[in-house]
Amino acid sequence: MPRLETLSEVQRRMLQMFPCMEHDDAPWTPMRKPLSESRVAMVTSAGLHLRDDKPFITEHQGGGDSSYRVLPRTTAPADIIQSHVSIGFDHASIYRDINVTYPIDRLEELREEGVIGSLADNYYSFMGALRDSSKVYTETGPEVARKMLDEGVEVVLLTPT
Amino acid sequence: MLARVFEEAGMSTTGVVFVKEHAERTKPPRMLWVPYAFGNALGRSGDPLIQHQVLKAAFDLLDAESGPVLEEFEDDTMPEPLLQSSGVERSEAAKGLNPADELTSLRPYYERWIEKNGGRTAVGVSGVPQRRFRGVVRFLEAYSAGEDSDFDGRPDGVGVPQFIRYCVDDLKAFYYEARMEQRPGAEDVEIHEWYWGETAMSGLIVKLAESMNQSEDPAVKAIPYGLAR
Repeated sequence: MPRLETLSEVQRRMLQMFPCMEHDDAPWTPMRKPLSESRVAMVTSAGLHLRDDKPFITEHQGGGDSSYRVLPRTTAPADIIQSHVSIGFDHASIYRDINVTYPIDRLEELREEGVIGSLADNYYSFMGALRDSSKVYTETGPEVARKMLDEGVEVVLLTPT
Repeated sequence: MLARVFEEAGMSTTGVVFVKEHAERTKPPRMLWVPYAFGNALGRSGDPLIQHQVLKAAFDLLDAESGPVLEEFEDDTMPEPLLQSSGVERSEAAKGLNPADELTSLRPYYERWIEKNGGRTAVGVSGVPQRRFRGVVRFLEAYSAGEDSDFDGRPDGVGVPQFIRYCVDDLKAFYYEARMEQRPGAEDVEIHEWYWGETAMSGLIVKLAESMNQSEDPAVKAIPYGLAR
């Protein structure tokens, strides 16, 4: 979509009023080398985590759960589950195939084909639909950035749910 | 927003967004706007071809020399809107059913689904084994009736309201996966409308949400919007 005009009145109004941070321009890090020589990590806002990890919570005092989870790249899909706060999306789709949100198998295929140079050992997951993302912006986001830099990551793929 | 953080830290980013209007405001450096329903960022489940096309289009944005870049992924797909529970008409037949018995009748399908999917299941957020879900149903029935109830097996550190949310998510995943096994070929929207329109379980969840909404406790009141609305 979602083209807003295709949504219900309630969903359209909710999205139009959703509190986003606003900026006039974008930071820019140019590619230093081709993707085929770069190290890639994936970060999702789908609220995914390991089956035995702590689920995300429905935060009632702040603007949402600002924490993150580490997803080792070699984790089997059967060991990853989702505790996303929103019920406004198609859950059946990710129940059928995790790649529709979190394309772990597709990235491995791209690495094998040489499209991507290498993949990081760890991927990361946050909660989406945060009504207040300031803590992610100032604390947990930069923390994950440092971890990825330590792992030699040069390119980050971001996926929502 | 995360894209901005990572880009400022010195990494190049690209990705997928659903709502163009939000990306226009937050201005991530490079994003691909997809025309799919929420929950389908890479196009379609079980369709590696379209998933690779979306990924290629997203990675191609890394070739841009300046930004922000917000490009549309062209696809004529017009996803059907996903109705919330209040938008789905409940069948009269569902009103007389018992959720625990209904759950038991779906269990063989659910277990077959797991077997066929190499052990993969979305059930597991509550930490309660699915074989104890009849007990979870009894707990939710008592809670929605206003009784001071709890569940033996609630994980340490997880309050009752949050535990209820996890249980409801698990029951929903159990039902959806059982239904996908029971009716192979059913579209996602069909499964969604079956759950909310024809099952006794969704009747219980709606009642539970209404009950929690009456609470004055903010920790309780935060939950029902994510159960049914």
